[in-house]
Amino acid sequence: MHNCSCENPLVPGIVEVVKIIDETPDVKNFYVRSEKGGVPFNVMPGQLAMVSLIPVGEGMFSVSWQEENDHLEFAIKRTGLMTDELHRIEVGQKLGVRGPYGNGFPVEECKGKDMLFIAGGIGLAPLRSFIKYCFKHRDDFGKITILYGSRSAADLCFKDELFEKWPQQKDTQVYVTIDNPEEGWDGHVGFVPAYLEELNPNPEGTIAVICGPPIMIKFCLQSLEKMGYSDEQVITTLEMRMKCGIGKCGRCNIGSEYICLDGPVFNLAQLKKLPPEW
Amino acid sequence: MNYTQEIREIAARLLENGQVDMVIAWEKGDHEYQTIPFIARTVDEVGRIVCDEYSIHNLSNSLLRYRDGKEKIAIVVKGCDSRGIVRLLEDNQIKRGRLYIIGVACDGVKDPLRAMKQHSGFERIQTPEDGLAAKCLDCRQPNPVIYDEMVGEEQPIRGETDRFARIAEIEQMSADERYRFFEDMLSRCIRCYACRQACVACNCRTCIFDETRPQWVGRETSISDNFMYHLVRASHMAGRCVECGECERVCPVNIPLMLINRKLIKDVNEFFGPYEAGMEYVEGNKPPLSVYKENDPDDFL
Amino acid sequence: MKVLKMSKIEQVLDRLAQQADVYVPMLRGQQTGFFSWNTYDEGYDDLMFDILNVYQSPKHVILPQTEKMYSFSQEGQEIKIDVEAEEMTPKIIMGIRSCDVRGIEHLDDVFLTKGYVDQFYKARRDKTTIIANACYNPGTNCFCESMGVNPTDSEAADIIMREVNGGYVWDVKTEKGEAVTKQIEDLLEEQEVELFPLKPFLRKVNYEGVAEKLKDMFEDPMWEKFSEPCQTCGICTYLCPTCYCFDIQVKAWGDEGYRFRCWDSCMYREYTQMAGGHNPREAAKERFRNRFLHKLQFFTERYGRPLCTGCGRCIVVCPGGVSIIKIIDTVKEAETGA
Repeated sequence: MHNCSCENPLVPGIVEVVKIIDETPDVKNFYVRSEKGGVPFNVMPGQLAMVSLIPVGEGMFSVSWQEENDHLEFAIKRTGLMTDELHRIEVGQKLGVRGPYGNGFPVEECKGKDMLFIAGGIGLAPLRSFIKYCFKHRDDFGKITILYGSRSAADLCFKDELFEKWPQQKDTQVYVTIDNPEEGWDGHVGFVPAYLEELNPNPEGTIAVICGPPIMIKFCLQSLEKMGYSDEQVITTLEMRMKCGIGKCGRCNIGSEYICLDGPVFNLAQLKKLPPEW
Repeated sequence: MNYTQEIREIAARLLENGQVDMVIAWEKGDHEYQTIPFIARTVDEVGRIVCDEYSIHNLSNSLLRYRDGKEKIAIVVKGCDSRGIVRLLEDNQIKRGRLYIIGVACDGVKDPLRAMKQHSGFERIQTPEDGLAAKCLDCRQPNPVIYDEMVGEEQPIRGETDRFARIAEIEQMSADERYRFFEDMLSRCIRCYACRQACVACNCRTCIFDETRPQWVGRETSISDNFMYHLVRASHMAGRCVECGECERVCPVNIPLMLINRKLIKDVNEFFGPYEAGMEYVEGNKPPLSVYKENDPDDFL
Repeated sequence: MKVLKMSKIEQVLDRLAQQADVYVPMLRGQQTGFFSWNTYDEGYDDLMFDILNVYQSPKHVILPQTEKMYSFSQEGQEIKIDVEAEEMTPKIIMGIRSCDVRGIEHLDDVFLTKGYVDQFYKARRDKTTIIANACYNPGTNCFCESMGVNPTDSEAADIIMREVNGGYVWDVKTEKGEAVTKQIEDLLEEQEVELFPLKPFLRKVNYEGVAEKLKDMFEDPMWEKFSEPCQTCGICTYLCPTCYCFDIQVKAWGDEGYRFRCWDSCMYREYTQMAGGHNPREAAKERFRNRFLHKLQFFTERYGRPLCTGCGRCIVVCPGGVSIIKIIDTVKEAETGA
């Protein structure tokens, strides 16, 4: 289940940061490679790993992409103590990484379906692993629609994939929106849930995958229900404060489920059975 | 003391005519020696209120939960508790206009926590002590210092002993002896933070011990982190502690916290005083360490 | 039956302490808990096998309040990790009551099952032998029987001591128990003695169906009412024999440091505080509700048995008088289908 450098699931292996890309003023994409070369472990889309700037702290992040056996990518937003320090490091810095944790996206069950990806802000990072997986196995999936919104144009992540690489893929539509009008932006303006209702994508044979701030997820879930999506057709990936990553320290629970172990991916049917505390 | 009837009448009156939205008082728990905090919001609930010999809790601490709201609150306070209300008012934690303070003149109460522990079977005792709580034995403030309505006859001061006697003893110890004394005392702290939660003067929205940027004091129960926790907390209490004794009462490992607090009360009184925190409410008053004066003593620096 | 005479207890402890760290219930100064026999101070401490139970449960023997995990050192961008491989001395917990043994069983469920085995916990647990002390006199706030615990028979115990006149019957249950017994065989005597009867419980609850009922009671007004006196001080979580939530933190100075884990409490606001500012359980009522649901519903759903063992400690020490018995009673009496 996990192949870190030592048998202890709470002890990280050492990786090296080989590339850092500035996605937005507060999001950086870190490429890491195991000290021995290659990836420290294999991940499926949607899985998580605990990244540690060892003298400072640990944080659980979704793996934004695994490039074959070359490296792992983590898109990390600067929000707190650890991420603040992390944004100051340079290429060559050694970090601790342990994982993979979590259940990942149900890629097998989604094969043959049309995919609707809805993301807000940094929420695109976990979905990106699934989106790129779909593109890698393009013929296994039907039509792909990506709806992404952010506070402003500068806050849009993965701009070159968003505007160039992805729209060029077969049978793929990318819709981008920002919250408020601004100079130099002639794309759509408006919040993601509203844009979603505007686009009104057909629920038939479609799986909707959502990630973003909790408030955005909640509104989108309501919109999708209005548009006729069944509970099993809607998947989301959630986030909570995590420390151990292995379902033991207790804090990331929603009801009796631990996000780090039973999640972070849940479909709406499962989520409705749990207390609304996330 | 037993003012159950009087308090029930006052509570019913206040709730009925809409003067308040809630009355913070006490009710009985499962055992006759267990009285616990209780909030009555309707006239029906008033029948559960008691104000008896086990009503030791400093209810002013519960006001913090409602500091951001708009409810009108009636609260029953004894002498020591009322100083807690002055603390909150001086710290701008709650508006005076929202409070209807029912003061009770107290002739001492017993500690239901001590009674619960003695009857629990977890202690080896021959006969349960049934006297007044430790903090009541040398009470200097039996009568509320602030109130809108007063219940009971004014009580005489009970405490004639020198409350700083033990402090003086410790001050006489050599530095080594003192270190060992405090090491013994604080090494058993399990860092449960109950003292902080029970304290009415601990009312920061984000407590220094919960800050992460930076983390001021580590969370280990090592002697150095334990010392830091207690010394920093005590320093933040200097000139603000109202001596209600709740911190010491709730400590699950019986650390005599009032020793540390009293030392600082003595020092503030000597250096910046005479000064006793929370003895009277005058709008605009601040504790001595919250105000800088050019002639503040500094020879202890 | 093998019997350990009262007069020989200290000899047994001395003998066992030669090969293990023996934790026994003691009164030390103002607190009661399980302390190591090696630290026993004749003039200061008091052995307490006869007491109903002690305040601090022995969970700290296998899940210490603070536990170093690994140390590290930095040099420029390089970093080295060293996992703490302390030589684990065998441990014996002697005189532990059934309620606390059940607590350890629950800790075993959490740390040793469901996907990952916590290596730090396992290292301690494997080397720990449990010598339980059968309980025949339930106390004022004891309700272990109602929570499915047998006060006179603990499942996970390696040896069970049963109090009789003048001593204890030494009831060996497992191989681990046999190994420990071999060390003190000569101090036991063969004797036929009569066991004490179990006295009736003063407090009972009916837990049957409560976990199921709680599924529909998430928004019930009872949580608001019950959480009012709660100060979220966390004493309950520290003394509870089954509370296991922990935090992982780091201590660093200059280029070195170590990562450790320490007890944490779900009652604190910071427990679920996220870096971006969002907190799913901001209010005291939400944390209060989560704690009791965890004890009475979530844990039962996940591991099959409730996390509360009926030891009564939280009821005794809560400054606000919160009682889990009252909560279970309220759920039991609530109208279903609300």
